[in-house]
Amino acid sequence: MLNKTGVPTLEDIQTVSPSEERLKKGPVAIIECFQEIPCNPCTEACKQGAIRPMEDINNLPKLDLDKCNGCGVCLSRCPGLAIFIVDASYSDTEAIVRIPYEYYPVPQVGEKVVGLNRAGDELGTFEVSKVQSGGQKNKTYTIWLIVPQSLAMEVRGLRLRSTEIQPKETIVCRCEDITLGEIQALIKEGYSTIDEIKRAARAGMGPCQGRTCRMLIAQELAKFYSIPVGEVLMPTFRPTVKPVKLGTYAGGE
Amino acid sequence: MQKSANVVIIGGGITGCAVAYEMAVRGVKDIVVIEKQYLSSGATGRCGAGVRQQWGTETNAILARDSVKRFEGMNEELEYDRDIEFKQGGYLMVSYTEKEWDQYKKNVAVQHNLGIPTKMITPLEAQAIVPHLNLNGLIGATFCQSDGHANPFHVVDAYYKAARRLGVKFETYTSVTGITLEKGKVTAVQTSKGDIATSTVINACGYAAGTICKMVGFELPLYPQRHQALVTEPVEPCQGPMVISLHHRLYCQQTPHGSFIMGVGDPNEPKDFNINSSWEFLEDVSRQATTVLPLLKNLRVVRQWSGLYDMSPDANPILDEVPGAQGMWVAAGFSGHGFMVGPQTAVLLTQKILGQQCFMPIERFGLARFLGGELDLESAVV
Repeated sequence: MLNKTGVPTLEDIQTVSPSEERLKKGPVAIIECFQEIPCNPCTEACKQGAIRPMEDINNLPKLDLDKCNGCGVCLSRCPGLAIFIVDASYSDTEAIVRIPYEYYPVPQVGEKVVGLNRAGDELGTFEVSKVQSGGQKNKTYTIWLIVPQSLAMEVRGLRLRSTEIQPKETIVCRCEDITLGEIQALIKEGYSTIDEIKRAARAGMGPCQGRTCRMLIAQELAKFYSIPVGEVLMPTFRPTVKPVKLGTYAGGE
Repeated sequence: MQKSANVVIIGGGITGCAVAYEMAVRGVKDIVVIEKQYLSSGATGRCGAGVRQQWGTETNAILARDSVKRFEGMNEELEYDRDIEFKQGGYLMVSYTEKEWDQYKKNVAVQHNLGIPTKMITPLEAQAIVPHLNLNGLIGATFCQSDGHANPFHVVDAYYKAARRLGVKFETYTSVTGITLEKGKVTAVQTSKGDIATSTVINACGYAAGTICKMVGFELPLYPQRHQALVTEPVEPCQGPMVISLHHRLYCQQTPHGSFIMGVGDPNEPKDFNINSSWEFLEDVSRQATTVLPLLKNLRVVRQWSGLYDMSPDANPILDEVPGAQGMWVAAGFSGHGFMVGPQTAVLLTQKILGQQCFMPIERFGLARFLGGELDLESAVV
């Protein structure tokens, strides 16, 4: 499942979930790392000796729940953004979930943001209680969210509430600088497929050959015609895969 | 979809859309255009976007000359809300063999007779127009400044919108499945969305025109031929005219957008409906283009595609009523230059069908020419 969807299974989660008792004791790292890849910054980051050195760099990290004090250094070092800190001792009804965050703008203390589960589904609106910068060399921010106790092991992402899309400012086709507003206007005018929009506005004719805009336009068409995205007619996928010089094809280079 | 129409036009390319407009603007009501996919999805949208008057046969040259005048004022005439991107950077036809140069001289004589202002120029004069032209072996060139480029998608879009304002209906994503004949007369067009009763059908399907003619039992002297093209990344303007070298089978122009469009004809291309892209073409066109225009070797190719020429035996259009199917007209056989002659082809055919005075004898494009006698072969097709 993880390989296909990027979402870990319940069984995966259970293997890294601390006991109720441990959670109640105070902050603890939850290392949701389920793919054996050559990666070990977490073992280097942990000054408590809670994440043991790996015999093989491909191994999954192993956490000693008794040694972990939830300092959060590993969270900000994990390149996969797979480590979270949960503090269920925050209050009787609420817990703190610390989440790595690498987008701009960075949320502010006191701001209400939308909490997301591992699949990206919305779980509710929660308050940011602290924002911690990763420092000059590490651009990963740690966002502290106050969530209900029952969601402490569920909230794993966040989305700002104020990011309403501005059609006039949102670029859909980056090669040809075409905005969402322009695409929406063409769809309204009656250009009913990606191919037609491509010919009317050049969307998808640039060097990326529609890799960015193709699905975004498909989404807009699906919305307009109230059909599943899968039913939007795809354009012809044409060579070449990437831009190559004429001189190279001619055999001179 | 409607059950009947005065006129049914099959094909939503330049010819079909322009004929729809020309008929509607002359007062014909109740016209339907049937298109299998979307407008300009066939040969029109796949063409090299060139517009030239430098032809070897008078027939092609007249249609092209008068069409240029239409392109010049098209945004205004059709009240287009965008831009057809007509750029008159000229066509530079370069010659690297004596035989070709002799043919160019004959062609220019035809053009001069018709008032087309083509100049015969020396290699150095050609280099002054296109500084990155390879002079090695170049004998001479012909140049006509009023030739150039127009964006096929926008030209079709302009005709479509103008026709739609005049009440023409367009049925896209609709296929023609048959033609109903009664006593040798057309009575209906059968489509994937139902039948449309009509007494006038215009077959403007380009390479598929033969398929439609077969529906009424007529074998059109037409065959499809794949031609491939590519487009590069856009760069600052550096090449004014379209450069054609028949010797290298090459055409190459920089569009107003900045990208270069080019293609080569393949003499061994089989006669079929294949429109796949091939790597052999990429190699071939790159070699020819970097030979004639060496500077282009640094340009990156973004995309390649292919389309079909609707080849007629003399590379001239076929504009005629289909034998044995009264009321069915064919406008095809454009042999790779249907886009650039589209505006006036549409006028000529419309004038004929409506019984008006034709601006030139349409018989010169008739099917009778294939019955015997010598054909006036067009020499200037890439």
